[in-house]
Amino acid sequence: MAPVEAATKQHANWSPYDNNGGTVVAIAGGNYCVVAADTRMSTGYSILTRDYSKICQLADKSIMASSGFQADVKALQKHLAAKHLIYQHQHNKQMSCPAMAQLLSNTLYYKRFFPYYAFNVLGGLDSEGKGCVFTYDAVGSYERVGYSAQGSGATLITPVLDNQLKTPSPLLLPAKDAITPLSETEAVDMVKDVFASAAERDIYTGDRVEIVVVNSEGIRREYVELRKD
Amino acid sequence: MDLNLTAPHSMGTTIIGVTYKDGVVLGADSRTSTGMYVANRASDKITQLTDNVYLCRSGSAADSQVVSDYVRYYLHQHTIQLGQPATVKVTANLIRLLSYQNKNMLETGLIVGGWDQYGGGQIYSVPLGGTIVEQPFAIGGSGSSYLYGFFDQAWKKDLTEEAAEDLVKKAVSLAIARDGASGGVVRTVIINKDGVKRRFFPGDALPLWHEELEPCNSLLDLLPEPMST
Amino acid sequence: MAKAAVDVPPKGGFSFDLCRRNEMLVKKGAELPKFRKTGTTIVGLVFKDGVILGADTRATEGPIVCDKNCEKIHYMAPNIYCCGAGTAADTEAVTDMVSSQLALHRYATGRESRVITALTLLKSHLFSYQGHVSAALVLGGVDVTGPHLHTIYPHGSTDTLPFATMGSGSLAAMAMFESRYKEGMTREEGIKLVCDAICSGIFNDLGSGSNVDVCVITKDGKDYLRNHQLPNPRTYVSTRGYSFTKGQTEVLSTKITPMKEKVEIIEGDAMEE
Repeated sequence: MAPVEAATKQHANWSPYDNNGGTVVAIAGGNYCVVAADTRMSTGYSILTRDYSKICQLADKSIMASSGFQADVKALQKHLAAKHLIYQHQHNKQMSCPAMAQLLSNTLYYKRFFPYYAFNVLGGLDSEGKGCVFTYDAVGSYERVGYSAQGSGATLITPVLDNQLKTPSPLLLPAKDAITPLSETEAVDMVKDVFASAAERDIYTGDRVEIVVVNSEGIRREYVELRKD
Repeated sequence: MDLNLTAPHSMGTTIIGVTYKDGVVLGADSRTSTGMYVANRASDKITQLTDNVYLCRSGSAADSQVVSDYVRYYLHQHTIQLGQPATVKVTANLIRLLSYQNKNMLETGLIVGGWDQYGGGQIYSVPLGGTIVEQPFAIGGSGSSYLYGFFDQAWKKDLTEEAAEDLVKKAVSLAIARDGASGGVVRTVIINKDGVKRRFFPGDALPLWHEELEPCNSLLDLLPEPMST
Repeated sequence: MAKAAVDVPPKGGFSFDLCRRNEMLVKKGAELPKFRKTGTTIVGLVFKDGVILGADTRATEGPIVCDKNCEKIHYMAPNIYCCGAGTAADTEAVTDMVSSQLALHRYATGRESRVITALTLLKSHLFSYQGHVSAALVLGGVDVTGPHLHTIYPHGSTDTLPFATMGSGSLAAMAMFESRYKEGMTREEGIKLVCDAICSGIFNDLGSGSNVDVCVITKDGKDYLRNHQLPNPRTYVSTRGYSFTKGQTEVLSTKITPMKEKVEIIEGDAMEE
């Protein structure tokens, strides 16, 4: 084959992206926020590790859980950590959760045409101490909601949450807070149950679920075992 | 890791047929692979067609099995109708007929070898398109490219049975050493007027060629001290 | 005359009527339905007295598990069973078809089916479809000539082996066999190794999961151990439970049709002799 012809026919047959699977969920309550993710990382039909945390604490009261492509998630987390460090030096305080939400959106949109392959939920407490959850797409569109699920098991979990935790219409006047009526223990119990259910049917969800609860007392972490097959 | 497990079974092979003073020696390795995966490490690529004619198969496993099944069936009929054993020439011609008429469907290269009372020991090579050539020796499969020079140098007319078998064994082991698609054991079939002898030589009983390693259970045993700890 | 030849309905095989239409739809960007694939681990081995087959029980459709407890060890003949991997419809259809051919052959000959017969019927069917019937099989059985184990690939090639694995978990399972298989194992050793090989697929391959099915075939008969191991029980069930309030679906109209008795049931002596 002639070299010129060879050069014109060359094209990348590899992708800069991979999908490492996993499911993340966040639920906002009146004075708490639950952020949860399974700990399985996989590619194709193989498990890369059964013990990988998808949850990252970005600030005192902001917790991000991300599924998608691990390399992009890691890059995103490092970028946000750096930004937050600069913020602390400039303002001598921790970033609030709504501020972090805006920062995350801007960071994602900055890479609009070569996106981070990361599906995030950001949970925490706002400046009034109320639970808040922000949900994102890969290019930075975001919304404050009462609960959200992202990742490979999101299609299985979202309808259950929709049924159990009704969202007030955003058109209501006066505007109602998008928080769930459940108590903290009820919310944690529901998270465990939806993850156990998702692990039954989604092959990319399993091994263990890591649950982080943020409330006025601080941050609490717990783990529940899931199916390992 | 893309093993390409859905690829059709192909025998990236080394097959050899050699005539000697009293008959023929056929030889083959025993590896069958699907993409990068060794699906069978002890396959038998030297198939019996009649009492006195054998066939070395290379290329698509499915195609070569079907061709040999048909030829065996036709030869049994032919033997009954004729009341005497089929000749090697008839066998080779039948294989050629199938290979040539179905050339758009088949992807297999074959070497026929046998002994009959009219022609003595004979080797016929039937490569991809349905060509037929009678040769004093024939080599085939992906491993054969490593063997042309060797055979030009080492093959002599009227070898003894032992010398011919040693030649075949040495050639297959040389090809196994260099060709990634060949491997496992060496199988030989010797056919002369007295009948057929079948032998196999396990992989760890083969000679070690340039830079080949002694068989061992773990590569860690070979590494220098600091690395093996 | 010519017209009659055209109008004869097809006697068997597949209908390819919609192939061209579907090809056109794909070109226009339509998405064809996914097949139920059994991303699978199936294995088999020869032991002292016969053959042991094993399979996991997960069936998947892309990333979703569509059956958590399916049967992948198919009946071929009383003395022959066959594990199937690949498109579920294909493995099911091809094993059913061949098992019916074997049954008819038994009626015709009055003899027990042989494994080589099943093997030849399967491979010739698969070869004629050039790999489009995606069934990857592990065929095992005991007949008058002894125990036999074969693997059959979608393109119609076959292997004869003392131990075999197939499906997406075949590498994980083969690792188990390559390190622990011995000739002349006992029934207990064989079942243990088969279970461990399947579990290796279940836990390390995402296409395989749930339970372990085992089938032991000896010259005295078969022992089908359905759900021999259950290594994946549900991990968490909410103690709270769920309540679904009525009225989630609006009732537009109600019509009640009373059931009419069409048969008069007589108490007592009707069925009695």
